[in-house]
Amino acid sequence: MVHTSLDVVDEKISAMGKALVDQRELYLGLLYPTEDYKVYGYVTNSKVKFVMVVDSSNTALRDNEIRSMFRKLHNSYTDVMCNPFYNPGDRIHSRAFDSMVTSMMIQVC
Amino acid sequence: MSSELFTLTYGALVTQLCKDYENDEDVNKQLDKMGYNIGVRLIEDFLARSNVGRCHDFRETADVIAKVAFKMYLGITPSITNWSPAGDEFSLILENNPLVDFVELPDNHSSLIYSNLLCGVLRGALEMVQMAVEARFVQDTLKGDGVTEIRMRFIRRIEDNLPAGEE
Repeated sequence: MVHTSLDVVDEKISAMGKALVDQRELYLGLLYPTEDYKVYGYVTNSKVKFVMVVDSSNTALRDNEIRSMFRKLHNSYTDVMCNPFYNPGDRIHSRAFDSMVTSMMIQVC
Repeated sequence: MSSELFTLTYGALVTQLCKDYENDEDVNKQLDKMGYNIGVRLIEDFLARSNVGRCHDFRETADVIAKVAFKMYLGITPSITNWSPAGDEFSLILENNPLVDFVELPDNHSSLIYSNLLCGVLRGALEMVQMAVEARFVQDTLKGDGVTEIRMRFIRRIEDNLPAGEE
């Protein structure tokens, strides 16, 4: 399912064309709703894609919250990149990143 | 100058050393050697810019290191604690270490002393002012400690005037 959503992300990126990219454009919004899940996308200028899958029963999540979650994810991701022991493309093992993600998920559950 | 560029440069240096040398101990030794070579040169710059006079005892030296040298080169002011009863050992406590911003030590490098360059610099610089010292890390935030602590021990005053060799 994440793979299908990646296809949708690519579609949206190519549709954007030469639009000026700022924080709002990075956020792709609700990709497509399915029966059980909602999928949100976010792409960076370096073409790194973040995909968030949310259970549909969690109706309390508002657009702003999703945006801020992506922003936090992006910030933590840049911190991980700055770790000289991290090779881009590897699976992320950073404890700081993991604890940020876990605390974010706990907040919304 | 951006501190991020400095941090990333140091990080690239350490990871390259890790790739070149198989084990952490060798990397630690290399960092110490490199630090030593930096220290013997840096001391001239420091003395010229800071204009501090000759220190009369080790306590003065400690103060100058923490309040002038660290501030000048790394922008931080470590605190000095844990003086030994004989007055020949003290600890530098660094609340934050700019060399290690964003760094997380992977598990396969658990005995790496990431900031060992600093120990070499301190040793090299003090040797050029006729003080033989030993510097080592006893606490490191990268290893889970709350602060970074460098223990400095005065060994002896260097009396002979042979020029310090490069290692």
